[in-house]
Amino acid sequence: MSENNGVYGEADATEEKSSANGTETTQNAASTDESLNARVKQPKRGKPKYWLWVIVAAIAAVAVVVGVCVARGSTSGSQTGEASDTISDTLTIGLKLAPVSLDIRQQSGTALEQVLIGNVYEGLVSRGSDNKVQPGLAKSWDISTDGKTYMFHLNEHMSFSNGDDLDAEDVAWSINQLKEQQYYNADQVASLERAEAVDANTVRLTLSSPDSNLLWYLTGRPGLVFDKDAQYDAKTQALGSGPYTVESFDSADKMVLKANPSYWGSEHKAKTERVVLRFLPDDNAGVNALKSGDIQVLLPVNATLAKSLDATNFKTVVDEGSDKFTLVFNCANDKLADKRVRQAIRHAINHEEIIASRGGVDAALGGPIASVDPGYEDLTSLYPHDVSKAKQLMAAAGYSTDHPLTLTLTYANTYGTELGDQLRSQLAAIGIDLKINYVEFSTWLKDVHSNGDYELSLVDHADSHDFYKWATPSYYYHYDNKEVQELYAKALAATDEATGENYLKQAAKLVSEDAPADWLFSYRASVSYAKGVQGFPDKLSQIVLPLWQITYVK
Amino acid sequence: MRFMVRRLALFAAALVGLSLLVFVVLRVLPGDVAAVMAGTNATPERIVSLRAQMGLDRSYAAQYLDWADGLFHGDLGTSAIGGKSVASQVGTRAGVTFPLIVLSLLIALAIGLPLGCAAVLTRNERLRGVFHVVAIVGGAVPALWSGLLLILLFARGVGLFGVFPSQGFPADGWSNPGQALMALVLPALATGLTAGAGLMRYTRAALGEAASNSAVDMAMACGMTRVQALLRVGLRLALPQLVSVFGLMFAQMITGVMVIESLFALPGLGAMLVTDVGNRDLLAVQSELFLLAAFFLLLGLLVDLAHRVLDPRFKTARSREVG
Repeated sequence: MSENNGVYGEADATEEKSSANGTETTQNAASTDESLNARVKQPKRGKPKYWLWVIVAAIAAVAVVVGVCVARGSTSGSQTGEASDTISDTLTIGLKLAPVSLDIRQQSGTALEQVLIGNVYEGLVSRGSDNKVQPGLAKSWDISTDGKTYMFHLNEHMSFSNGDDLDAEDVAWSINQLKEQQYYNADQVASLERAEAVDANTVRLTLSSPDSNLLWYLTGRPGLVFDKDAQYDAKTQALGSGPYTVESFDSADKMVLKANPSYWGSEHKAKTERVVLRFLPDDNAGVNALKSGDIQVLLPVNATLAKSLDATNFKTVVDEGSDKFTLVFNCANDKLADKRVRQAIRHAINHEEIIASRGGVDAALGGPIASVDPGYEDLTSLYPHDVSKAKQLMAAAGYSTDHPLTLTLTYANTYGTELGDQLRSQLAAIGIDLKINYVEFSTWLKDVHSNGDYELSLVDHADSHDFYKWATPSYYYHYDNKEVQELYAKALAATDEATGENYLKQAAKLVSEDAPADWLFSYRASVSYAKGVQGFPDKLSQIVLPLWQITYVK
Repeated sequence: MRFMVRRLALFAAALVGLSLLVFVVLRVLPGDVAAVMAGTNATPERIVSLRAQMGLDRSYAAQYLDWADGLFHGDLGTSAIGGKSVASQVGTRAGVTFPLIVLSLLIALAIGLPLGCAAVLTRNERLRGVFHVVAIVGGAVPALWSGLLLILLFARGVGLFGVFPSQGFPADGWSNPGQALMALVLPALATGLTAGAGLMRYTRAALGEAASNSAVDMAMACGMTRVQALLRVGLRLALPQLVSVFGLMFAQMITGVMVIESLFALPGLGAMLVTDVGNRDLLAVQSELFLLAAFFLLLGLLVDLAHRVLDPRFKTARSREVG
């Protein structure tokens, strides 16, 4: 067993200490014993030795640290020396939200679209940072006068990253598969009946009824083109025609994208050889990584933390987007069926205060359509912050601060507790006792979204062009207004843009007046990047992130 | 021998019970993976068809038997969302978490044992007080806070002395051992300091108790000094207790380092569990939890066996039995 003692430090040290103790305390040992007496005196000389060891160890530790510092400093110095003024072949971007799998046909989530669409997979048409439709795999298209037939003329000599040709057959197959398998967002293009390859470079889409949204939806998942001849596991691999291919992917860590060497196009050819997307769900971790140079871009960055970034080395931009933080009132609920209650809540909410507390970058939003979407108009004047009016409405409905109405707000813990607390205190002033049910996102999905079992719900509806949710009574909003549905149908059927937008405006205003929800704010993502990063889009980067154009010069 | 067999049978029975418990508890959680996959735009029909695709519409009994059968054959299953096998997933994550735990424990040992011993050995009341304060304060500091402090002091780019990387794990993992180790230094220190203070308290208590044991008095009567007696005899008496504590500490750290992993953005087991539970990827979570819990049980088994080896009293009992 004696080897165990070795663990507790240098054997000599113990020896010396033991005799040190001996001097002070042990009178019980035979003090007449000469050898013991000799040992008793020794510690006086031994003691400094012990401290010497400590000092030596401390110096050694400092030396190691300094050595490591110097070594690291010199290596990083030489790296920057070599790479100055040339485009870095690796760019690392920090993202707050990670896609959970690569299966873009099945798996929900805007993070997946942001990362893969336009970079790894390409669609028939693409979306610019202005949220407008642009050519993609198709260089041009014609729409018949009745709006029911679309002819797409494809680019020539296109290929997938595995070398397979991409032609009209692949396009038609991808779209027909979408309808057949009811892949993610297939219902967005419900008007689409079938796709056919007319010849190798022409595709015809036939619609059951005109749909002014179709082209725009084709810029998203429904328009993506997959290789019909390839076999691969879509959850762990991605095979598209885009400027990048996925080298590796781990949803809790990072995704590594590599430039596709055989990319068919010349316009969107990747400028940076390797792009690493690091997933950093923690706001502080993200900012630290940016400061230490582990990442060059962070999106989105917490608006308050972004202020701590030094302006000479980093640039922060505020990005307009389609995220709508929506406080939905369940109209199918007895308490909220009373329009006066819903209106009172809208008047009672102080949007300015909420926005200011979040760092002051988000924009007020008065209706269901975001500023980047067609049909947007400023509706914030419909329900201005007016506590006395809210109180009147509550009184008319039979409630007061002495006789409060109890409501429950169910929302996902991804949004932070502050929002719920603010709403509770703002609504308490008009006689609403707000209970907060703070749940996990998957619980929210089950209870609120699938089962519609809620009173108030708060969620960030991030999708663009999603007004259809207000015209679909079966959606969890449970909002059923015939007039709105008719106007939306007219907007879809409109063959020219201006008419369509006009109908959407009317419908959005009707919805907002009816107060089935309050739009707390339109979330605007802040993006921070290091000096030297070029080509980063200043709009909509939460949805469209064209990596091919982004470069980093050290 | 009989002890070994009994203990192993108990271990096997615990595993079966564990699998049932994990399965049932996860089924009680609200929410399901099909809804998560389908997202906020989904129609109810799509959710139903996804559930059918993933086999979630079958009876619980059938699902359990399917899973248990796989486990029995060493097949931990595949994540319903990510499509990766659970075994490989756990493997890569463990490659971050376990080195981190081992490093933390080494730091804890290096701090806790000598200080704990010193606290008993010293006769100086004032020094004892100092040790006492160190143990209590050290144990009371949350690893998260000391982690933040360490980042402020030593993290590259952020800290006062930018020495160590503080965010994430190098892209090529352990194929670059120097960098990988550097990435673990700060997180390991953060957890190691707290754990070390805990270990110090336990050491002090165990050794203090052993000090009043008559065996120590006996050793001193035979001519050992107090320090010799404590280190040679007392520590040996205290050892089984310390081994238990150490084993438990190891087990606790598997989940205990979760917070630190998130602070330092390390792709470890904790991050994996949190994401998978969040996505309700129960097929993956049940296997992951089962593995971790089984590991916990295994540690318990090893600690028990170590007790038998370390405590001479068991040995004599056994030889008497045989004789």
